[in-house]
Amino acid sequence: MNTLSENLDKNLKELKKLLPSEDILTYEFDSQDRVHCAIVYADGVVNKQLLGDLVARPISKTSLKSKNEGGRYEIKFETIEKTALFPELKQPKDFSEAVKEILDGNSLLLVDGLKTGLIVGAKLLPVRTVMEPPTDIAVKGPREGFIEDVKTNMSLVRKRLKTPDLRFQTLRVGKRSDTAVTVCWLEGTANTEVKDRILEKLNSFSIDNVPDSSYIAALLAPRKHSVFRSIGTTEKPDIFTAKLAEGRVGILVDGSPIALTAPFLLTEDLQSSEDYFISPFMATIFRLLRLIAVFVAVLLPAFYVSAQIFKMQLLPLGLMLTIASSVRELPLSPSLEMFVVLLLLEVLKEASIRMPKYVGMSLSIVGALVLGETAVSAGFLSTPAIIIVAFSGICLYTVPNFVETGSILRWVFLIIAGSMGPFGIVLFCAFLLYYLLSSDSFGTPILAPFSPLIPRDLRDTAIKYDLFRLKRRPKILQSENETRLTSNKEN
Amino acid sequence: MSNTKPNLYATANDETYGRQIAFTAAFILPAAKLLEAPSILAKYAAGDLLVPALLHFLLQGGLLLALLFAATGSDKTLFERLESMLGKGARVVYFFLTSYFVFSALLPLLDLEKYVYAAFFDTAPTSFSFAMFFLLSAFICMKGLKTVGRSADICLFLFLLPFLALLGMSVFETDFTHLLPLFGTKFGDSMYAFTKTTPHFNDALFLLPLIGNYRHKKGDIPKIMAGYSVGSFLTLFFLAVFFGLFSSIAAREHYAFSKIAQYFPALKITGRIDLVFIYALTVVLLFYTCFLLQYATSFFCRGIGTQKKLIPSAVLNFGLFLFVLFFNRRYNALYALISGKLFWIFWLVAAMLPLFFLLPKNQKEDNRA
Repeated sequence: MNTLSENLDKNLKELKKLLPSEDILTYEFDSQDRVHCAIVYADGVVNKQLLGDLVARPISKTSLKSKNEGGRYEIKFETIEKTALFPELKQPKDFSEAVKEILDGNSLLLVDGLKTGLIVGAKLLPVRTVMEPPTDIAVKGPREGFIEDVKTNMSLVRKRLKTPDLRFQTLRVGKRSDTAVTVCWLEGTANTEVKDRILEKLNSFSIDNVPDSSYIAALLAPRKHSVFRSIGTTEKPDIFTAKLAEGRVGILVDGSPIALTAPFLLTEDLQSSEDYFISPFMATIFRLLRLIAVFVAVLLPAFYVSAQIFKMQLLPLGLMLTIASSVRELPLSPSLEMFVVLLLLEVLKEASIRMPKYVGMSLSIVGALVLGETAVSAGFLSTPAIIIVAFSGICLYTVPNFVETGSILRWVFLIIAGSMGPFGIVLFCAFLLYYLLSSDSFGTPILAPFSPLIPRDLRDTAIKYDLFRLKRRPKILQSENETRLTSNKEN
Repeated sequence: MSNTKPNLYATANDETYGRQIAFTAAFILPAAKLLEAPSILAKYAAGDLLVPALLHFLLQGGLLLALLFAATGSDKTLFERLESMLGKGARVVYFFLTSYFVFSALLPLLDLEKYVYAAFFDTAPTSFSFAMFFLLSAFICMKGLKTVGRSADICLFLFLLPFLALLGMSVFETDFTHLLPLFGTKFGDSMYAFTKTTPHFNDALFLLPLIGNYRHKKGDIPKIMAGYSVGSFLTLFFLAVFFGLFSSIAAREHYAFSKIAQYFPALKITGRIDLVFIYALTVVLLFYTCFLLQYATSFFCRGIGTQKKLIPSAVLNFGLFLFVLFFNRRYNALYALISGKLFWIFWLVAAMLPLFFLLPKNQKEDNRA
């Protein structure tokens, strides 16, 4: 693209042609020696007060022209650079770069007679304050959460990892959104192969718009149609930095409060940040509880249906008789009944997320009491089915990151159980297991450390060892530096 | 016929490790012996059912040791050496192994089908209820042998925990005196039991595809042999508990592991919670049966020199689905044929192949790295 000319009017005309939108404004003023200047910026994303106080006002009180060796008056770039009292200044190479910077929220200072411009980093984007994320609540432990601004997120990471080894590399992704995607890692700790693969992949695709980090996760995912994640997500800087310190590579995306980490292991879903701030015994109990809860959430409705249709021995006699008496006069088959109740749960869940908060309470009453109670008393649904679906629904939320996958799997298991019984369930379990066995996340098997078996890494999976037994980083991440804790004696 | 360019058809997806072979021997192989083998052994050898089983393990252990020995002394895998020696003639071996693994999968497939109908359905299942197994199998057949190794790792948990739980639930109800007197059965009967159960004890050959694709490291042989010993011990202990529990009716108790914990007193209160463990063990059993077909597909693809396994896998599984559909009512005749007249195929292949693989070891390797 064209380079800037010495003629201010010509430059402004060219910029108007490139940026015809009405939110692109131009503020024109003169220096003390009547040199015409202009600042081009996007309205609403610039700190106008700073721009006026630190750039326009000093320039308007300064003589920009100075005599050169030949005795002629000229305008030197250095003079303008010194006059503008701003820390973030940059010279654009051409119109293309100037346009990019203006659209990014920076301002372009143009001076008549100067064959270049000055980018002033007076960006003032509307950002949310740092607060506790709604998806990752911890009773004990840090409460800060990432926000939508990538710079703030980078500062939250830097605040926790004050080491020169922490590296950021920002790429621009999205032909139209031009979104900043920052890859971060700890040099000497992260596996460089993973980092290079991520950077290479990010550079390899061209997409119009990146509204959220989930787009980047989908683009980076090795298996595009998998229901299982292959990239970790977190909204909390403490978890994010802990994962970087373990040897993972992180990705921050401008406009998204959700940070990504790779490689991802399935056991990460079982872990919660709180596990590291409480006693390892309690952490182990909680993790086992979560593990059982996930199995119950996904398999309980399916087993209930298959027990009724195909294998009654799955239930104790007393329970079987209770269920038999409550389902005796139902008009629906066990699988159809369970299907309806599960559908009801999913609809209520979906509505309660989208509905305004003040209507939410009424929804709970309508959903739980009116619908549930009346459906049972009308003989349309049975009480055991509602109890099972409700329990399954609650269990799934013990592992928040697994909710999407778990919901899908629950449906699939239910359909299979209704048509093939317990054999179908076992068969599908075997299929899922084998699928996971053959799945990798950036070269790391996602079922590790169970398969391939790495005994040392088992210390932070379903069972949580104390800090002093987690001296070394997970072997599966192939970190360049495996030691993360040494005691004075060892030193 | 010599070809200096080894590894013609193998991919990195087939590579396995010593630990994974050891785990396969310890935690996948025993699952195959928990279905029909215990009742057949009890039928012919009665209280001495451990004797023919022990003989099988000693024989298979010896063959395994020979195979492992053949895999040592080179930085190449056994199949790479085979290809170096025979060149494209290695295809003949691969086609032979394909046929063998299809043949050795026939009885396990029918056993599995019968077991599924008995253990998973109170109602009468349709002939197609088992059909979905072949979808799983077709999926597994398309994967490399590396996943067999990885599944061996996961089977440590998937086999051992349910297996020990089932044994724990049954061992207190067991009367081990039923196994006495030792050698109370005629030796001829024990040997007959040994012959009849040959199709269930083809351990060394089951491990051949994994051994053939791994690079030997120091200390692997004791590790793998220890794994095989653990698997053998677990099977023998299971057989002892099985006969101690069922005694004279043991011969009629098919699918032993699905019944072994049924006398556990707590089941009256809790319902059949042992089914959870039985279903977990079934996953291992499904893997075992699928692996036989995966080996067959893998060797066939190597034989024809392709990495695309979709069509061979689909054809093989569809063919075997038809086989199961037509032969499930002729199980007894087929079993009599294979274990009564064709059992020598297992012995011949099992005995010949390790010896055959010792040959490339003795060849001078002029292209060693």
